[in-house]
Amino acid sequence: MTAALRCDGVSFSYGATAALAGISFALEPGERVALLGRNGAGKSTLVRLITGLLHPAAGTVWVGDWETRGRGPDALARRVASVFQHADQQLFASTIRADVEFGPRALGLPPAECARRAAAALQALELEPLAHEHPYDVPPPWRKVAALAGALALEPQLLVLDEPTAGLDRTLRALVTRALAQRSAAGVAVLVVTHDLAFAAETLDRALVLAAGRLVCDAPLGALLIDEARLGSLGLVPPAVATVSRALALPSAPLREADVARALASVARSPRPV
Amino acid sequence: MSGRHPFTLLAFAAALPALAWTLPAPWGAAGTFAVALLLCLTPGSRPGLGILRTAILTAAPFWLFLFLLHDRATALAIALRLSTMIASFVWLVAILPPARLVEALVAAGYSVHVAFLFAATLSAVPVMRARAQRIVDAQRCRGLATRGGPLTRLRALRALALPLVLSALHEVDERALALETRGLSAGARRTALAPPPDSTAERVVRWTLVAACVAGVVGRVLWRV
Amino acid sequence: MAGLTFADVRFWYPATERPALDGVSLAVAPGDVVAVIGSVGAGASTLLLVAARLAPRVTGGTLEGVVEAVPAGIVLPTPWTQSSGMAFTVADEVAFGPANLGVTRDEIARRVDRWMARLEVAHLAGRDPATLSGGELQRVILAGVLAMERDLLLLDEPTAELDPAGAALVWRLIRDLARTEQKSVLVATSDLDAVPDFATHVVWLDKGRVRAAGAPAAVLTADAIWTSGPGSTTVAGLWRRAGLAAPAPLTVADLLARVR
Repeated sequence: MTAALRCDGVSFSYGATAALAGISFALEPGERVALLGRNGAGKSTLVRLITGLLHPAAGTVWVGDWETRGRGPDALARRVASVFQHADQQLFASTIRADVEFGPRALGLPPAECARRAAAALQALELEPLAHEHPYDVPPPWRKVAALAGALALEPQLLVLDEPTAGLDRTLRALVTRALAQRSAAGVAVLVVTHDLAFAAETLDRALVLAAGRLVCDAPLGALLIDEARLGSLGLVPPAVATVSRALALPSAPLREADVARALASVARSPRPV
Repeated sequence: MSGRHPFTLLAFAAALPALAWTLPAPWGAAGTFAVALLLCLTPGSRPGLGILRTAILTAAPFWLFLFLLHDRATALAIALRLSTMIASFVWLVAILPPARLVEALVAAGYSVHVAFLFAATLSAVPVMRARAQRIVDAQRCRGLATRGGPLTRLRALRALALPLVLSALHEVDERALALETRGLSAGARRTALAPPPDSTAERVVRWTLVAACVAGVVGRVLWRV
Repeated sequence: MAGLTFADVRFWYPATERPALDGVSLAVAPGDVVAVIGSVGAGASTLLLVAARLAPRVTGGTLEGVVEAVPAGIVLPTPWTQSSGMAFTVADEVAFGPANLGVTRDEIARRVDRWMARLEVAHLAGRDPATLSGGELQRVILAGVLAMERDLLLLDEPTAELDPAGAALVWRLIRDLARTEQKSVLVATSDLDAVPDFATHVVWLDKGRVRAAGAPAAVLTADAIWTSGPGSTTVAGLWRRAGLAAPAPLTVADLLARVR
């Protein structure tokens, strides 16, 4: 089966400054991956390469069976949907529903299909009550969720999200988690750039870590978040769930809140050795 | 030129269009247009040819429309005058960073609000361009084709127009609020951090330009009478 | 009179029927760090704008009730709209606020150095603000507002763009400013995990009204904050989900103490 996303020895420079060097990895359909790293590590550059806004200086980016070389972002939008940081500044239409329909319409799909996709995306993110509102009339967190709905409406094979939870409260973060879980269960590969490790722990399974333009870690997220020394050397801070999981030596080191809570319950209730 | 005092640059950018409109066409306007184009070539914050190209490309559509609507002589006169205005403004935006203009205005005693008004006008174009690029990138990632035949480009332009204006207006609101948070209305006189150097020679040049404009206006009025 | 006092404040934005603030009373004294928490649209941002005297003066609208506040430094949530757009360098950007207040050039230089160091952005001093990442810009804007050295600080989501290390720096700084410099601080935040570490008081705002106010341990352990509010810390959430006896611990340290 073709990988949903593959990078082979990808390199890119902004003028004389090298931004990425020798990046190689692959995402299978349905995988949920976190792209981590400190500011300036090259995460945003990699996202722009995947969406076709930039083309690699060396190496190849494959989105499904399509090379990005020779294709613009509008062509690649049939395979990959992306939401950039501050996408809430770029909402295009006069209502949220119209904005969510923008993508399918731009792809040239028939109106009935556009409406169906928009309705599905709005429902997945509980946006129906706000569908008729003007994007600038709703609070910024809801605008972010609307931007995500716009990407879901493209019904892509690959979703690439840049900081999707910045500024979102607990309820909205849970909404995003649920929507991404649904999509990945349906075979969509999900790549999320984030420094919200709590969200990553709850939603994603694998971690790709960039540092100074190189891929320095490609590991299951659970293993990484429990390894405090490794996290520290990468400049990352463990989320509360990981700290709790490790400190209480919970069996099989769970990271999803439901699992940690269950393990915590049994630990708290069982008699402790003095 | 870029080392000159901001008021000098402002004087040139204002005098050229003023003279273009008051001097007899087409030679007067052709002269000022030539001077404006020459200014575009002087070294500044960006390579001169780039500024020249922007000026010419911005003015080009006007030439087209004018020659369609008017007879040769009128069209030429208006086109040269408009082009002088456009070239002067494009040159000013490229060569004068808003921060320096604010410093000059503040050092000269003008109120902070006036200074920021000028600065915002100058930075409007690059800010708009950056915003337009972000919007087009986002739209392309949602499937909007922007390259291709004229119909495609027209559609892309239409898709860009409304979000560009709306987000600009929305941001103006937030920016106005944000400037207030940085003490804009505190009522104190703003400290000049780095007042641009001035010289007597430049002051002479500026007043000469002003005098030339006045002479142009007076001359025009007298000529008519 | 120091700090901030709200007495039964009501505020309506122009042309809206429902008030954004509906009878809010609170006080922030020097040395207090009050965290305002609430669901989206609860009115936290409006509260800060009123305290800064930007509402209704700049935003328009109608205000009722009494607001007593010393001049405040306020940081709004989106850093990229708060940059002056008129600074060549980061150092100039930080100097922007103090310059508008008419502070002398020497004092401005001192303040710029001090606050850039405390926000750990001194290495960015010569950079063009337009080239900064969101996180770097947020710290620069914060430095710029702190450089105005006002006694009342109003911060709206000051860590939204920051990575966890940057956020920890800012929370520590805020706590120190209140403790050692006796500033009055009011912070609107959705980073509930950080609240027990930096806040002396918590105000839970719901639809423009104060639902609860008090010490973090009191407000954040109430069950209602989960059922009809923004929730509490991750640790408290885990405890509650595990079905263990109230009151829930708020931090990992508290949790370990309870369990061991």
